[in-house]
Amino acid sequence: MKILLMGHPNVGKSVFFNRLTGANVTESNYPGTTVDYTKGWMKIEGEDVELIDVPGTFSLDPKDRAEEVAVAMLHESKDVRVISVIDASKIERGLYLAMEILEEGYPLVIALNMRDVAEDKNIVIDAGKLEWILGVPVVSTVAIAGEGIKELVSRIREAKPVDVADITANTASTADAAAGTAGGEV
Amino acid sequence: MKLSPEERWDLIDRISRETVSFGAYRHTLKDAIGELTIKPMTGIPIAIAVMYGFWSVFGSFAGFFTDGFFVRLFDAYWLPWLQEVFPGQGRFLYTIMVDAGGIDSGEFVLSSNCLESFGVLTSGLFVAIGIVLPAILIFYLTLALLEDIGYMPRLAVLIDTMLHKIGLHGYAIVPTILSLGCNVPGVAATRILETKKQRFIMMTLLAIFIPCGAQIGIMQDVVPDLMGWILLYLIIGYFIFGYILNKVIPGMAPEFLIDVPPYRRPMLSNIGKKVFGRVKGFFVVAIPFVMLGCAIVGVLYQFGVIRFLGDLLAPIFVGWFGVPAETAGPLIAAFLRKDLAVAQLSVIEMTKYQMITSVVLVSIYFPCVATFAMMLKEGWKELIGALAVLAVTVFAYGGLIHLIGILLGVA
Amino acid sequence: MAGQSTSQTPSSSSSSTSSVAVIYFAILGIVTVAAGVADLLVTASGSEFAYGILEVPNDLFRGGWGGLIMLFAGLLYLSGVRNMDDIHQFAKVTMGSILIWILSGCDIFARITESIPSSSEETGPWFNTLPGFIEAYAPPYAPAVLLLPFSLVVLYYISKRASGETRGGNSS
Repeated sequence: MKILLMGHPNVGKSVFFNRLTGANVTESNYPGTTVDYTKGWMKIEGEDVELIDVPGTFSLDPKDRAEEVAVAMLHESKDVRVISVIDASKIERGLYLAMEILEEGYPLVIALNMRDVAEDKNIVIDAGKLEWILGVPVVSTVAIAGEGIKELVSRIREAKPVDVADITANTASTADAAAGTAGGEV
Repeated sequence: MKLSPEERWDLIDRISRETVSFGAYRHTLKDAIGELTIKPMTGIPIAIAVMYGFWSVFGSFAGFFTDGFFVRLFDAYWLPWLQEVFPGQGRFLYTIMVDAGGIDSGEFVLSSNCLESFGVLTSGLFVAIGIVLPAILIFYLTLALLEDIGYMPRLAVLIDTMLHKIGLHGYAIVPTILSLGCNVPGVAATRILETKKQRFIMMTLLAIFIPCGAQIGIMQDVVPDLMGWILLYLIIGYFIFGYILNKVIPGMAPEFLIDVPPYRRPMLSNIGKKVFGRVKGFFVVAIPFVMLGCAIVGVLYQFGVIRFLGDLLAPIFVGWFGVPAETAGPLIAAFLRKDLAVAQLSVIEMTKYQMITSVVLVSIYFPCVATFAMMLKEGWKELIGALAVLAVTVFAYGGLIHLIGILLGVA
Repeated sequence: MAGQSTSQTPSSSSSSTSSVAVIYFAILGIVTVAAGVADLLVTASGSEFAYGILEVPNDLFRGGWGGLIMLFAGLLYLSGVRNMDDIHQFAKVTMGSILIWILSGCDIFARITESIPSSSEETGPWFNTLPGFIEAYAPPYAPAVLLLPFSLVVLYYISKRASGETRGGNSS
């Protein structure tokens, strides 16, 4: 089994990588720090698993060389699970990439990173509900401070492929329920 | 099942409506300061202050180690000791390893300092450890600090308009600044640029106009009062030739979209790791290259190759670039080691302007071997293109600087 | 520090600035602008200026560029001092102080690095003598260093604002 860390540039993939493997990948507070992939090993329940820090990409439709590397990494690896790292303060854009990965049938775990930044901006995300809708594990993290990393590792095994139709169905059902109870809410 | 982008956005929109609630967005002090550093009116003066701090700390720190301790260590203890104990004074190996010495009124005399001796164990070690190590260390330390705080993307936004004129965009500031430490990671960082054209322009400009930490360190040590002029010439060259390249090379130079991350408190452990990793990476490459380069230059001098080439090319140097004939040797040697060449130049008698010209020439010369290898990795076509540009640039810009000197009446 | 007593009352905890703060930063701003202009004038004229513990730098780097930055720090203070309760205005005042910290920090760092190694040439001792070391920190000082303690006052207002914010956040 291989695990890929994927997400937009500068959402903290390298921070996760270092936390998870104890390696020394350069982390910087600007996009594009990782232009080539880095491999490392991590332990999940005593088993050694290969972890790959993939360069940041906005979608699976690459725009530059670093993104090409990222997309090729995903397509050329076998038996992969993806940790989709999402900037909690820009969740929609992050979900776009996560969705594309799900549509291609890869098992996924979502790390809602930089929760602290989102909180600064007064954005609150219901991770439990998001998990229910998407049908994949969703973990809130502040990777730079090490918060939520343990939970993320413990839930990697739960990653599974889901059918996008199910997600659509889930949103429809909750939307109906919401419409029934609190129709006026925006 | 696959969705079209519209369907996907639509679904995401529904999901986020279900799960995300936005409170009233209140600006924090961090946000407000972030905005100040991006708006040109306030951002540019702040950028000047940051550069001021960067440069001042760089000078103080490098001066502390180099002038405060290493000069004394190498000139007063290491060099005399080696001159004493190394066998076979005046012989081939001694000349290469310790001291080439000089001829003073027909007599062989030993050098009095490590910049003049040109031995692998004297000049080579002194340059690598005494000058380059402190410079690189402080450079990467301050850079890591700026990176982790989150200042770099703001600098990118500020300088975006200017860099668009040369076919690049604000993000080109990242490879540019990285190159000030060492061109190798700078060339690697060009991958964040979108098109082939942009990468080519960037790589070429880096290799030609951006002096690396080793060069800056040695310039700061041997010609500190001329630094401002030398850097000014390099920056002007960067923009002139960037502008020309942008006009000449076909291809697209797209707009850039950038996320400006929030300011963050830097983590000491991360900075430590990063600085250690980069300094180590630089040294694994630099020390062998400095020593080897020093040895090769020494051997070429011994066999008269450099003298021969120097005599051959002296008319060009004197007539076209306006520098004294003696600089021909170091300028040839600069193909191998730029930092040593600057040291060699510093001991030649010439006017201030000639010194500026020759140091600028050394800087825009052939990139160091490590950078050369890195560019080859990115593509041999690009490399050949870059070298062609380089040859033209050295002649054109060297001549231009001479011309400016003539017009100003100083050359 | 006079602002401390007036603003500890609960009624003013939501607004983090008092008239004392406004007057304080206005005066600091004027002094900073004056210092910046003095730096630039002394540098441009190539003369020397020292009075008491004050010595205006006159080299191109510290006097010229440094003076420009100092001038700008003063302008930031002055433009931010009006309506300081607004976070954007307060940010300007904070930035003014940060610029002074950069200038004075560089000055102090330069003094430290110059004070430790011996100043004698060649084969002298490695380190400076103790009197020489202490002397390196004696006055005169550059304007930025003299302004440093006064610029630090902004930290008090930052912490006050931060505590006000968390309190405000809990109640709403």
